[in-house]
Amino acid sequence: MDFANLASQLNAGTILPEGIIIVTLLGVLIIDLILGRTSARWIGYPAIAGLLAAIVALYYQWDAVNPISFTGGFTGDDLSIVFRGIIALSAIVTILMSIRYIEQSGTALAEFIAILLTATLGGMFLSGASELVMIFISLETLSISSYLLTGYTKRDPRSNEAALKYLLIGAASTAVFLYGVSLLYGLSGGQTELSAIADGIITANVSQSLGLVISLVFIIAGIGFKISAAPFHQWTPDVYEGAPTPVIAFLSVGSKTAGFALAIRLLTTVFPMVADEWRFVFTALAILSMILGNVVALAQTSMKRMLAYSSIAQAGFVMIGLIAGTEAGYASMVFYLLVYLFMNLCGFTCVILFSLRTGTDQITEYSGLYQKDPLLTLALSLSLLSLGGIPPLAGFFGKIYLFWAGWQAGLYGLVLLGLVTSVVSIYYYIRVVKMMVVKEPQEMSDVVKNYPEVRWDLPGLRPLQVGLVVSLVATTIAGILSNPLFTLANNSISHTQILQATITKVSTVPLEEPEKL
Amino acid sequence: MLSVLIWVPIIAALIIGFWPSNSIPPNRVRLVALTISGLILLWNLFILFKFDLNTPGMQFQEYLPWNETLGLSYQLGVDGLSILMLVLNSLLTWIAIYSSSQNTERPRLFYSMILLVSGGVAGAFLAENLLLFFLFYELELIPFYLLISIWGGEKRAYAGIKFLIYTAVSGALILATFLGMVWLTGSTSFAIDAVSTQTLSAGLQLLLLSGIILGFGIKIPLVPFHTWLPDAYVEASAPIAILLGGVLAKLGTYGLLRFGMGMFPNAWSTVAPTLAIWGAISAIYGAVVAIAQKDIKRMVAYSSIGHMGYVLLASAASTSLALVGAVSQMFSHGIILAILFHLVGVVEAKVGTRELDKLNGLMSPIRGIPLISALLVLSGMASAGIPGLTGFIAEFIVFQGSFSAFPLSTILCVVASGLTAVYFVILLNRTCFGRLDNLAYYPKVLWSEKMPALILAALIIFLGVQPTWLVRWSETTTTAMVAAITPAEKTVISQVALK
Repeated sequence: MDFANLASQLNAGTILPEGIIIVTLLGVLIIDLILGRTSARWIGYPAIAGLLAAIVALYYQWDAVNPISFTGGFTGDDLSIVFRGIIALSAIVTILMSIRYIEQSGTALAEFIAILLTATLGGMFLSGASELVMIFISLETLSISSYLLTGYTKRDPRSNEAALKYLLIGAASTAVFLYGVSLLYGLSGGQTELSAIADGIITANVSQSLGLVISLVFIIAGIGFKISAAPFHQWTPDVYEGAPTPVIAFLSVGSKTAGFALAIRLLTTVFPMVADEWRFVFTALAILSMILGNVVALAQTSMKRMLAYSSIAQAGFVMIGLIAGTEAGYASMVFYLLVYLFMNLCGFTCVILFSLRTGTDQITEYSGLYQKDPLLTLALSLSLLSLGGIPPLAGFFGKIYLFWAGWQAGLYGLVLLGLVTSVVSIYYYIRVVKMMVVKEPQEMSDVVKNYPEVRWDLPGLRPLQVGLVVSLVATTIAGILSNPLFTLANNSISHTQILQATITKVSTVPLEEPEKL
Repeated sequence: MLSVLIWVPIIAALIIGFWPSNSIPPNRVRLVALTISGLILLWNLFILFKFDLNTPGMQFQEYLPWNETLGLSYQLGVDGLSILMLVLNSLLTWIAIYSSSQNTERPRLFYSMILLVSGGVAGAFLAENLLLFFLFYELELIPFYLLISIWGGEKRAYAGIKFLIYTAVSGALILATFLGMVWLTGSTSFAIDAVSTQTLSAGLQLLLLSGIILGFGIKIPLVPFHTWLPDAYVEASAPIAILLGGVLAKLGTYGLLRFGMGMFPNAWSTVAPTLAIWGAISAIYGAVVAIAQKDIKRMVAYSSIGHMGYVLLASAASTSLALVGAVSQMFSHGIILAILFHLVGVVEAKVGTRELDKLNGLMSPIRGIPLISALLVLSGMASAGIPGLTGFIAEFIVFQGSFSAFPLSTILCVVASGLTAVYFVILLNRTCFGRLDNLAYYPKVLWSEKMPALILAALIIFLGVQPTWLVRWSETTTTAMVAAITPAEKTVISQVALK
């Protein structure tokens, strides 16, 4: 193999965005070593600039002629680009909100950002990884950084406990995942590349074997953990409550997106012959997640725990698109994850802002907030209502598209359950709005009575405000002006070869449905 | 042209809500809201007079592509079914703002929510796209929740949540049905004229239609799903009750006519007998329960359930005359309920109670509130169906149009109409007549407080004497709608005959 041929097979340009992030990451670390704590004032901005540069690089890779790189280890197709973009965006907003939070907790910001960027890197590589070892390594990069982030405020016993819990469950579930992956390697006759595995399984004539089903189940256990689908969700509420809030914001969007990216790529490429089986399993997971997430969220008193259960439920909604398995289904997933980014990060920014000013995040303590902090009230109300799917906010359009795609694919039961649980979800989202807006001045909680004067000029609050306003505006208008986002989501699916192969097989089924009925 | 009706109030709502200075006196906010809603009302009247009476289809259509992936387009139009509802909406918005107290707490949120609701309801009446309709339909959910639970009575938190959940369930049902209609027919767009349910099997049509009936039945409300109504109406303050009863209930009947009868003509004729009985039961139930009430606002609330029963009967009969009656009844119920709620609000504000056992002798010329009582008598009579007032005209057309189709149900509704007279006589007797307590000393009713009631009363009398102005708008449209149903009905009948 001569060098030119090798270079073209490596095709290293596809990971330019990740390359930029690696450089930023190292830069942040070295600056921290040289300058120490004094760099904390501004170290967030170069990191954000690096992430933005990575997004720009992603933009220029859209519709790349030759997306496969590293001899098949990494695919830079449009699907991966859109997921990598979501993860990078969520990291940007996370940095914006963490500058003040981490500084107030008395820990080093640069270290935090370095670990966060590593997690971002892991998530971005996971979105495009198309080889078993590569998948596992990027998954571990993401997971190990997440454990570190969860326990970052190490003087707080709750943060420690959350980190321990997350570590134990996470490590166990990656072990299960690894076992499933190793089975795949064996079943396919020693292939590690995803498309080769599918062929290998057919050649080895094990496409309906028990071994394949077991490996499928084990892999789903690993994926279910990342996207916190019930019954693999148990870590979510505890980790969300204990971990630093910016970390949860990242976990709920970045890490979850990576999990869904992995799910799409792995399941559609490797398991097309057992598609009915994994659809069935995910249907069960979606039903459980929607019911459990939404019903248990009703009984929460802590804001972060409520958002934890809400994120379980939202994962259930997104799974409808995955189960549908049509072009519209995948596109609706991508679209929902995009708007979920805005809604959730806006909501978490408000939670951070409130807890920075008052030091608590109990739902009852929010009562009467509209008088003291109208901007926070407005942003939190709108993001929660958008999560509940109230028009004309972004979440409404996201949910409509999911339900529409689900209905088109003939998933009537799931869509109806989604509608019913949406009504349930409106109840607990509106409970917070009620606390903030409806309560009379005399019903104000003690914390709000002593609410500090709203100031934005303290160090680190300005970026928080920017993140808040930007995500608020996006949550409000991303639905009404949703055409570009829809086009983006649809193109990302229709330009992706691995999906096109499976979609044509699936979409013939629902088309026949009306005639049968 | 029509977009003005939607966007001016919504933008005004945003401006009022986000105006930076915090120190605007409540009075000025109210004045701004009043001016804007007045301008919208004038614009609406302008459209009303531009409206071509001889065209059965949509007029003043507007079209903008919006989101083709979802099949959602911004497509507006007005026909005989919706034109009166639009006028009702802007009229009652203006009245509601006018009759709101000068020193409402948190005025900016209050008026911005009212204007938001007004724009949303106008959008729902105008939408020619199922998804667009749903979007506007759900848009009023949160503003109304806040309007009830911030500026309401004692049990407002309970009433607000109850309203919210019922409406959200209704929305979910409607959305599911819409999705079903569009996908099962294989249509790629949610535009109303692109969806034709005729190709579906009878069973499926029936299933979808029952989704529509249940979804809108919660909103109307039909009898088993009505339990949110008394709480929401009673706990809401007077202006909000006017909007709730006057406008929101019409959204339900309008949806039933437009999407139930208009889109499922075949299945509609199958369920029509059930609906007629259902309407009659609603009417009787509303009247009987109203008789038992001790609270005047609650009485008026139940009267609303009864009156919406007539609309259901007329829609079920679906003769040309009955449909004209349904639209007229929707409009006249809107203005009658508005005046009743306004007057009850004034009585409560001046006397300080709504209990039938405590009120007495309000008619007394010097110490009582005679003009308000007189108007109360007038509107009670209008509600009960006394000739010369608009309530009679509407009910008479309804009964006349429905009798040929469903004689029994019509007779039951006539009985209910008689019972309506019974409880209004009870109400008037206990409040206006009798002797005033010696301790009673009521504040004076200002002219500005009487104004809305006077305007509505004039309208009620005018339409009662000159009913052409009530019915002429919808005649062409309803005839066309009936023409779409009749052939289907005939086939059903002939099939039955063959068997």
